[in-house]
Amino acid sequence: MKKTYKILLTGLIIFAGGISNSCTDGFDELNTDPNNPTSISPQYLLPFAIEKSVDRYWGGRTRFERLNIDGAMLWMQYLSRNIYSNEGDSYGITPTFYNNTWESFYDDGLVNFDRIIKQAGTDGAQPNVNYEGIALVMKVWVFSLLTDLYGPVPYSTGLKGTTKEPIYTPSYDAMEAIYAGLLSDLKIANEKLKIGGPSVSGDILYNGDILKWKKFANSLRLRLANRQATKKPTESKAIMAEILSNPATFPIFTSNADNAALKHTATLPSNNEWHQVMIQDGRTDWSLSKTFVDFMKKYDDPRLGAIGKSNGGSFEGIPNGLPDAIATTYLSSAAVLSSRFTDASAPSVIMTYSELQFILAEAALDGDISGNTTEFFQKGVKASFDYYGVNIPASFYASIGTISKAKIMEQKWVALFGQGVEAWTEYRRTGYPVMPTKDPRASFENNGILPTRLPYPTTEYSLNKAELDKAITAIGSDNMQTKLWWTE
Amino acid sequence: MTLFLFTVAFSMHAQTKSISGVVSSKEDGLIPGVSVLAKGTTNGTTTNAEGKFKIENVQPEDYLVFSAIGYATIELPVGNKTKFDVILSTDTKVLNEVVVTALGISREKKSLGFSQQEVKGESLTEARSANVANGLSGKIAGVQITSNGGPGSGSNIIIRGSSSVAGNNQPLIVIDGVPMQQSTSNQFGGGISEINPDNIKEMSVLKGPNAAALYGSRAANGVILITTKNGSGTKGIGIEYNANVTFERPFIKPDFQNTYGGGNGYRTWYSDGWSGVIGNDAADQYRAAYGSFVPGKTTGTAGTDESWGAPMDGRLTRQWWTGTDVAPLTPQPNNWNEFWDTGSSVTNSIALAGGNDLGSFRLSYAKLSQKGISSFNDYFRDNVSLNSNYNFGKFLTATFSGSYIKTSGNRNYQSGQQFIWAHRHISWDRLADWDSYTDTHIQRSVAGKLPDTDPPNWQHTYFTNPFYMNEMLPTTNDKNRILGNVALNFKLTDDLKLMLRSGTDFWGDTRINIANFERIRNGNQTPGRYSEEVLNSQETNHDFLLTYDKMLTSDFSFLAQVGGAQRLNSYKRNYTYVGELIVDGLYNLSNSNPSQNVAESRIEKSEVQSLYSSFQFGYLNALFLDITARNDWSSTLPSEDRSYFYPSVSASAVFTDLMNLQSNILTFGKVRASWAQVGNDANPYQLAQTFRSGGSWNGSAAQYYENTTIANSSLKPEITTGIEAGLDLRFFRNKLGLDITYYNQTTENQILGVEISKASGYGQRILNAGKITNKGLELTLSGTPIDLPSGFKWDISVNYARNRNEVIELAEGLETFTLQERRGLVSLAKIGEPYGTLYGIGFKRTDAGQVIYENGLPITETTPQVLGSVQPKWMGGINNTFSYKRLVINALIDARIGGSFYDEGTATGRWTGQYAETAIGREEGVIGEGVMNVGTAESPQYVSNDVIIPGNVFYGRNNPRRYHEVGIFDGTFVKLREVSIGWRVPETILSRAKIQSAKISLVGRNVLMLFSNHPHVDPEVDAYGGNSQGFTYGQLPSSRSLGFNLSLGF
Repeated sequence: MKKTYKILLTGLIIFAGGISNSCTDGFDELNTDPNNPTSISPQYLLPFAIEKSVDRYWGGRTRFERLNIDGAMLWMQYLSRNIYSNEGDSYGITPTFYNNTWESFYDDGLVNFDRIIKQAGTDGAQPNVNYEGIALVMKVWVFSLLTDLYGPVPYSTGLKGTTKEPIYTPSYDAMEAIYAGLLSDLKIANEKLKIGGPSVSGDILYNGDILKWKKFANSLRLRLANRQATKKPTESKAIMAEILSNPATFPIFTSNADNAALKHTATLPSNNEWHQVMIQDGRTDWSLSKTFVDFMKKYDDPRLGAIGKSNGGSFEGIPNGLPDAIATTYLSSAAVLSSRFTDASAPSVIMTYSELQFILAEAALDGDISGNTTEFFQKGVKASFDYYGVNIPASFYASIGTISKAKIMEQKWVALFGQGVEAWTEYRRTGYPVMPTKDPRASFENNGILPTRLPYPTTEYSLNKAELDKAITAIGSDNMQTKLWWTE
Repeated sequence: MTLFLFTVAFSMHAQTKSISGVVSSKEDGLIPGVSVLAKGTTNGTTTNAEGKFKIENVQPEDYLVFSAIGYATIELPVGNKTKFDVILSTDTKVLNEVVVTALGISREKKSLGFSQQEVKGESLTEARSANVANGLSGKIAGVQITSNGGPGSGSNIIIRGSSSVAGNNQPLIVIDGVPMQQSTSNQFGGGISEINPDNIKEMSVLKGPNAAALYGSRAANGVILITTKNGSGTKGIGIEYNANVTFERPFIKPDFQNTYGGGNGYRTWYSDGWSGVIGNDAADQYRAAYGSFVPGKTTGTAGTDESWGAPMDGRLTRQWWTGTDVAPLTPQPNNWNEFWDTGSSVTNSIALAGGNDLGSFRLSYAKLSQKGISSFNDYFRDNVSLNSNYNFGKFLTATFSGSYIKTSGNRNYQSGQQFIWAHRHISWDRLADWDSYTDTHIQRSVAGKLPDTDPPNWQHTYFTNPFYMNEMLPTTNDKNRILGNVALNFKLTDDLKLMLRSGTDFWGDTRINIANFERIRNGNQTPGRYSEEVLNSQETNHDFLLTYDKMLTSDFSFLAQVGGAQRLNSYKRNYTYVGELIVDGLYNLSNSNPSQNVAESRIEKSEVQSLYSSFQFGYLNALFLDITARNDWSSTLPSEDRSYFYPSVSASAVFTDLMNLQSNILTFGKVRASWAQVGNDANPYQLAQTFRSGGSWNGSAAQYYENTTIANSSLKPEITTGIEAGLDLRFFRNKLGLDITYYNQTTENQILGVEISKASGYGQRILNAGKITNKGLELTLSGTPIDLPSGFKWDISVNYARNRNEVIELAEGLETFTLQERRGLVSLAKIGEPYGTLYGIGFKRTDAGQVIYENGLPITETTPQVLGSVQPKWMGGINNTFSYKRLVINALIDARIGGSFYDEGTATGRWTGQYAETAIGREEGVIGEGVMNVGTAESPQYVSNDVIIPGNVFYGRNNPRRYHEVGIFDGTFVKLREVSIGWRVPETILSRAKIQSAKISLVGRNVLMLFSNHPHVDPEVDAYGGNSQGFTYGQLPSSRSLGFNLSLGF
């Protein structure tokens, strides 16, 4: 028996050695995440949030959820599908399109811009007015996209998932209120942004050039003010006057060099999204739309040759909404996008000097600002031609004739090529350019109505129904035919 | 396989004689059909109708074994007797069946207060699946197994329904007392799929929390206890050899249309694989086939990956393989068969076992080589195991059990679109031989760029030749696993025992996925790309158990156990994606352009400490009471809630013994009831909000983002509470048995990543929320309907299980929880509905359920609605064994009734014109079955729809991405799951070859589909595994396997 107990004792000692750390003192440390930090500098959040927001806006790699090339670029009849016209071209979209666009803008973009604002704010851990200002401008831009796409969206109570009093079911704000907030935020951003102030890194849009950020903030403010001008004339006029009367405090874009555009690089995944889709993934499903090609040909506009690439000899476009069997017969002859748009380093454009001039032209025409409509108009046209590096034909202005709202908006539409979402928003606001009658062979969903907005995400139905219902009641109904607030 | 021993027979030349006799019992008089066998030989007979027998060639040293169902087997020495008058007594031994239960304790089955079912090793090895788990299907009530057919693939095992909303629903797998880590990956398997079936002595399934309170948290979903063979009971040296060879073909062939070829607009023409313009050189050929040709305009159709092309009437067209020639466009009704290879599985296993009074050992080696039905897919598994124990005197036994498992193979093909986005006129045999057409195959050549270099294929717009992909772009892995444990068992006194044990399970896996080869497509060059993922995972358990087992009086027994355990888990993942190889085909991380690389890594560590005890009281060996208690401390919970306690109570009463109810009809009766709780902790690192690495901009500016899952610093453990009651009845001296179990279990405080409005800035928050109940009934009926004196016997066992699952609550204000989403169709946990309710866009219907059409097309509902549920109504199996002398035939029917799934593949295949139904009315147009409204919107008046719609437009409504309802199919199936025909080779043949025993079996799995509502695929299919059941899109089809098994004992 003695021997047994000896063995037993030995066994127990060995075993006790195995579980000697049998107290739970070390558990907190053991459960501290060794993979992910609990705090991080804004310089690392900024490039992520900018890239994700811009990619989502400009392209998106995932089929059925590409806001621009499965939606806006087709609806604005810049492009058309030579196959699978039922993937957007015929106005039909899948839930992932409007679910994931919403989710990405809020959860990839906005929440990170918001985190930078908090962290770099006066009360934050790392105060820095320039990070704060940059993030605020970007936040306004993304919110303006959201509300222009869907209508009322959670704004004042949004992005509060981790605040002290968290909100998981945010309420929807009316577009009017959102616009007021955005316009006010842009003014604050312009005040915050300090040339010669603290430096910023990770600014992949302007590489830390604060003056350019100020210009973007004020130009964007003009865009939004102009958009709501017929609905809120007094306020909008005051904002435009404030900016234009004091260029020293409120600098705006003065040339194409100021354009807000993300300059992509050849390094994955920092390349242009259209490059990813059309070159890397080899999708050849897009051709130029007949509407766009015909318009450009009407004015002998040399920008067509810079934007597109003819498929043998003359330029031809495909009517939008053609059934596949017909659309594919154009494959061989229809013009496609030039490498200016499909290169890895092609820029994703947010706002240009040219667009600003058209905004001013419209504002001048409407009497919202003083100034010469024609001058603004011609500056806008010139900036666009410059952008593509082509000269304005001698007879160009003559063939356009008298400048009207329609003419301004038509040329703005041309200048906005690529910026499908902005063009779509301006079309929904003004009704310009007037789109040609549909091709008799084309078939469209949505009762043949060019979509007026995106439906709310199905996730909002399951996760935020009570608040969503209020928003739907306010706008009438949740479909792609309801007109939004700024519609003139 | 039964262990056959080689015994040295010294009596080979001894004198033999003939013996006769009669067999009877007190209760039943003369017994017919009693087996009489000379022990250790195959020399035997059975008693005739008068209970008489006669047996020749018996030696005086022999023992005669008398056995019959319902009676105790007896052995009598022959000696110099020639006449036997044998009296058998009613068997009680069957009732005293010993089972291995929690903590590896062997207990009499009748003492259990909860339900437990076993499967013997041999029933897993004959009609085998390389993954042992699949062998449980249909054999155990309430166990649902879903698997895909790929080599080395994993299986999803669910016992008594899903209880966790978002967490693990897989049972705990315990091998010889020590847990084995499980992976739910269908593609790579891992865990139970790596076990060598030939090593398994027995598998026990402990269902629900009641049976498993002592295994802790992970046992809430049940436990599968695997006991491996350890050589004990072997006298001398024994050698087992088993060979198993099976061949596989796809089980269910879809019903294709063979009228129209690929393409669109009734045209089929290959130009350059991209619907490119057809050159003038083909003008005459094209005109001959289609009449008109517009130079510079008319295009090919290969870019359209659908089958709305020309009738396959033999017209001459250019095809991918014809080059500048044309060939008749002909149907390829066999192209499904051409695409799939005949798969094979070859297993060879050998074991050496030995034992004596001091101990035993068993050394085994098995090699499995599997070749998939998809080309170049394979799986290899080597298992080496050693089990041994040694007695150091009376007081100490040391045991060691360990395995080394090496697995590897190419698991590239998991699903494909070869029959979804496809051209019906494609011969896959010809495509498999693509190399022969490299020179004739016409590729696209973009002006100013290099011509395309893709391997020949039927098109190039979307697809690369799948044979080439399987071969040149494999997904391989190389995995090494070591698991085992050492234990010391002390016998301190006659009543007191102590066990000390340490076990570990470690695996390291290197997965290489080749994503691209250097090529030019549409004029664009892309480089070679691949990823390398290195995973290391380890779980170590140390435990002790003190057991006190004593008969307190002759009526009272007492068993007490106190134990403790420490469990340590660690996991490490390193992943590198190489976006640009410098030299293509050389897969080394340094052979890369660093700016195109993506690196990821993750570490996880956690620890759980536990103390537990169990007490069992027995009275008259007929009334039992069990009490267990356990406390866990987990590192993954906040300090204030890290300790949690959970108890269980169970009782059983053998009322036939207690109340003397035994009769000729009712042999045995037991009631049992139990109540139990199991606590569960969280995954690590969910308590604090973190930022995540998001790669970099331009390979230089590092990116981080805020985690969109909101952490929770006050998590609590989740608790599953279950009650169970059961009845175990045996009739006619065990010739008929019935076991009924009712259970009701509730899992509360579930740790969920609850989805929230994305406008909050976040996707989900970690919460203690959610309550799911599972109520169910399990029934097992077993019996021997026929047992003839001639030796013919029929055993049958029937099992039935129904589970009703309901989501009772989720987080405050939350109605639904998304389990899986695809194309906007979601599988939800929705309050008041079963887990896995399918929710999506459906068609508008009348109150009577008819689809409402407008302009010939069904009207879609604008808001999502319930389209089905993945939960089956019930499941069951019928296992039949017919034996006649040396022949044993076994047939297992397995059924799953009800439950739906989202089969995006089948619906898409209709949309793209693949299936037989889409050939109907193509040229004339189609009238959809349903009604249309001829009244007003306010007062509708429905008449039968009579609007004719072009075929491709009508079938286009089968787009499951937008009209989810078209992808919902019934998951019901009834299958002849297993058939085996076994024959024991007569000894007279074997003795010359010095072989002691041999059995040859013909085996088949998935032999016949007896019933299914699905027109095209086997409804037993699952794309994602885990909690995301109910989805499929072109998954590798299940396979039918046929083969043979040979087992030899030396």
